[in-house]
Amino acid sequence: MLARYLKFIRGISICQTCRLGVVLTISSFVCLVILELARISGIITNAYIGLVTYLLFPALFVIGLILIPVGWHRVKKKTGKSARELIETRFDSNAVKSGFMGSRLGRTIVLLTIINLVFLISISMRMLHFMDEPEFCGTACHSVMNPEWVTYQQSPHSRVACVQCHVGEGERALIDSKLNGIWQMISVTFDLFERPIPTPVHQLRPARETCEKCHWPEKFYGTRLKTIAHYQNDSASTPLYTTLNLKVDAGSANSRAGIHWHVAKENEVRYSSVDDMREKILWVEVRRSDGSYHRYSSGDKFASENQVSSVRTMDCVDCHNRATHIYENPEQAIDYRIKRGVLDKSLPFLKREALHAITVGYPDKQAAMEGISNHLYGYYQRNHPELVMSKSILIDSAITVLQDIYNRNIHPEMNIGWGTYSSNIGHVGDGGCFSCHNSRMVDENGRAISSDCALCHSILANGHEEPFKFLQPADSADIDFQMHQYLQDEFLKSFDDIKQGDVVELSP
Amino acid sequence: MKRITGIVLLMLSFSLLAYANPALTEAQVAGKCMTCHKEKSPGLYQQWFMSQHAMHKVTCIDCHRAQKGDKDGFMHEGGFIATLVTPKDCGACHQKEATEVENSYHAHAGEILESADAYLAHVAGGAPVAITGCESCHGGKVEIDPNSLNRLSTKSWPNSGIGRLNPDGSKGSCNACHTRHSFSVAQARQPEACSKCHLGPDHPQKEIYEESKHGNAYYTHIDDMNIDSDRWVVGVDYFEAPTCATCHMSATASTAVTHDVGERISWTLRPPVSKHKDEWQTKRANMMAVCKTCHSSTFADGHYFQFDALVKLYNEKFAKPAGEIMKIVKERKLMKSPAAFGNKIEWTYWELWHHEGRRARHGAAMMGPDYTWWHGIYDVAQHFYFKMLPEARKFNDPELNAYLDELIKDNPMHAWLTTPTGELKESIHSGKLQRVYEGLFKQQ
Repeated sequence: MLARYLKFIRGISICQTCRLGVVLTISSFVCLVILELARISGIITNAYIGLVTYLLFPALFVIGLILIPVGWHRVKKKTGKSARELIETRFDSNAVKSGFMGSRLGRTIVLLTIINLVFLISISMRMLHFMDEPEFCGTACHSVMNPEWVTYQQSPHSRVACVQCHVGEGERALIDSKLNGIWQMISVTFDLFERPIPTPVHQLRPARETCEKCHWPEKFYGTRLKTIAHYQNDSASTPLYTTLNLKVDAGSANSRAGIHWHVAKENEVRYSSVDDMREKILWVEVRRSDGSYHRYSSGDKFASENQVSSVRTMDCVDCHNRATHIYENPEQAIDYRIKRGVLDKSLPFLKREALHAITVGYPDKQAAMEGISNHLYGYYQRNHPELVMSKSILIDSAITVLQDIYNRNIHPEMNIGWGTYSSNIGHVGDGGCFSCHNSRMVDENGRAISSDCALCHSILANGHEEPFKFLQPADSADIDFQMHQYLQDEFLKSFDDIKQGDVVELSP
Repeated sequence: MKRITGIVLLMLSFSLLAYANPALTEAQVAGKCMTCHKEKSPGLYQQWFMSQHAMHKVTCIDCHRAQKGDKDGFMHEGGFIATLVTPKDCGACHQKEATEVENSYHAHAGEILESADAYLAHVAGGAPVAITGCESCHGGKVEIDPNSLNRLSTKSWPNSGIGRLNPDGSKGSCNACHTRHSFSVAQARQPEACSKCHLGPDHPQKEIYEESKHGNAYYTHIDDMNIDSDRWVVGVDYFEAPTCATCHMSATASTAVTHDVGERISWTLRPPVSKHKDEWQTKRANMMAVCKTCHSSTFADGHYFQFDALVKLYNEKFAKPAGEIMKIVKERKLMKSPAAFGNKIEWTYWELWHHEGRRARHGAAMMGPDYTWWHGIYDVAQHFYFKMLPEARKFNDPELNAYLDELIKDNPMHAWLTTPTGELKESIHSGKLQRVYEGLFKQQ
């Protein structure tokens, strides 16, 4: 049997090209099978090897297969002999002699072709599957994707594969993503990509197809209590708390209309922004199912107003623009870790010095790692030499945590520094909610969209030492007594049932 | 647990009471203002939070409340408010101060549209400089614009000029000196509060003060000025140096604080020719009361003796003749351009009294020797003799020439122009030339 196939292989190797094709096909097939067996048996665990197994070898395999007929065709032309004549010179007459099910040679070719097809189909499936794995997305184009890969792994969506959000479902989505991928390969190969990668990503799949597979907009979320600790720059890194009761609620207008009103089925919120950057809003409108709409336009005049090309309908990612690839701001990063207990604020002036250590502009990661360590050690050596001995473990672990913060958020190779990618959740400066909820977005009657703080959240503390300051009885001797009373009342009233049709509407 | 339940029930009942009426109460409006502005304009909120106003329970709505019918009133997050806080609003509590300001020269600073300064800014400059220059100090007329978010025309607001003409008919702006939203007395008492406007080529009060012994002492002892003390009586609460406020406004052991800045000023040093103000003796006595906190009466008398003579020197030697020249030029219609300030001699005359002449007079008033002479009379003299007179001569008008000839020939103060140097030096040594000016030292 083996001898018959060896004969066949020798037979088809009619020229150099054919011989090369045969070698390529067989060797890549063998290598692939070995690597796949090694992966299945657990000898190889490195995801990176998938690039070789599922991309390089299948490609060589197919190239080899193509080379064989190409070689035959060339020999045919050169010698002027017909295919039959050539076959007869390469194979013995037994093989060529036609029988009940064609010739033996024919049967061999059909059998091998079937095996090839099955092999190619299965390896293509494996290839697609491999390309759907986050490891492929995160590591194949290492320098470009590393920042996103790092932040993704530490995000709430770290167990959701990249492709579930970035590709979506259906053949169309698959084809789009593969075509897009070809361009990405070209731009990585020829170094054509921008650093940092510009946002927003306009070709992201619609949230209705991705986010809403898991996050059902009709779900009534109710309110979410959030306490944020801001550690001060004093020796004890004293915390001041801001506690918000976020009125997320459902996206349905039949019940309470909270923050998720923006994605309710009944309301279509559309907007247009300068250069489609989704930052400076030109106008925003709400369209109802009966076709009526109410538009608010910006009083600001933007230079590039004429460059508006599209109108966008709000979905999850307009606010949750950093649901996964979350870049922290340095202060919040430190506050969060002190709160979690991984940074120990028993070290004097920890907050102040930690913030200083990570926000110095370092030229590269190596310098940053050394700089962070030098800064913290240097500070305690100069000012609290006794601690360097007694609390060296705490200082060491603080340095490690700060280096981790730096490594997660700062990526010099992609020009990503503090604040490169801002989040639209909440409001920092004039961004986020305030992009639309500000006094400059007015309708034709000059009415602005409400920017009442209590519209979206109750406030139970705002930079206070007690996390629930405003739940305590208000003291009329306090300077902010009226604010205390107002916010306490507002919070308690916010739990009253709102009758149907009594929905808080933005329109006048 | 019982206690917590009790507190919650108590709070619930409070909240029900509070919401019996769906419209926001004033306290709720005040609470709402603080809530948002603490976040959106934290600096403003913190300034107020640390202020005496906050300490005395004066909240946003107390000052920004608008009454029904107020032209600048608008609905903002449930409250009917006005952005502009006028002396009328401040006067609701600070009645005495509001009345004093109303009667003061400061309150009329906005009526400059009739003045030569405003004319010049509009013709030689243009509307934007009238707004950002003149009106920022003097105060503009605040216009209503129904399309503006706060109903105030952006051409006339922001404006915190001291003589602002407000839509409610009141004049002035308290925050010209008492900067919002901390309304710090310390800030208003410092020379820098005044020098927002009182500086520069036409009235360098700040620079003169800095040159003077008073300013020297102030900057040396700046930490000993007790400047944020509630009571601030010179000689009692502080003694190292006076600021602008000390002499012109603040209390002494014998006189009360006043917001009428003219109450202690005896000369008008602003116009082309200085005059004594109405009731100038009383006003001078008011100022002398301040001087005497730190100086003897003879010292203060001596100062006024010298100062008065300088003002009269400026008046008699330069201001009056220059005014006479301009009168003849206008009467004889000698100027080419029909527009005021369209002719060079008008600019020369303008700078003579409006810039240089004021510098000399203010310099003498506040003991700034360099401003009295080099920035003052020196410039006045140079431009009088070598700009004003030659430009007047150029008209070659017989009547004007006759006046000029007579001035140089017959006025002993100008006769030096035609006298040889040796003779002049001799007369300086002998004291003869000084005697020419003897009359200026005579008290009226």
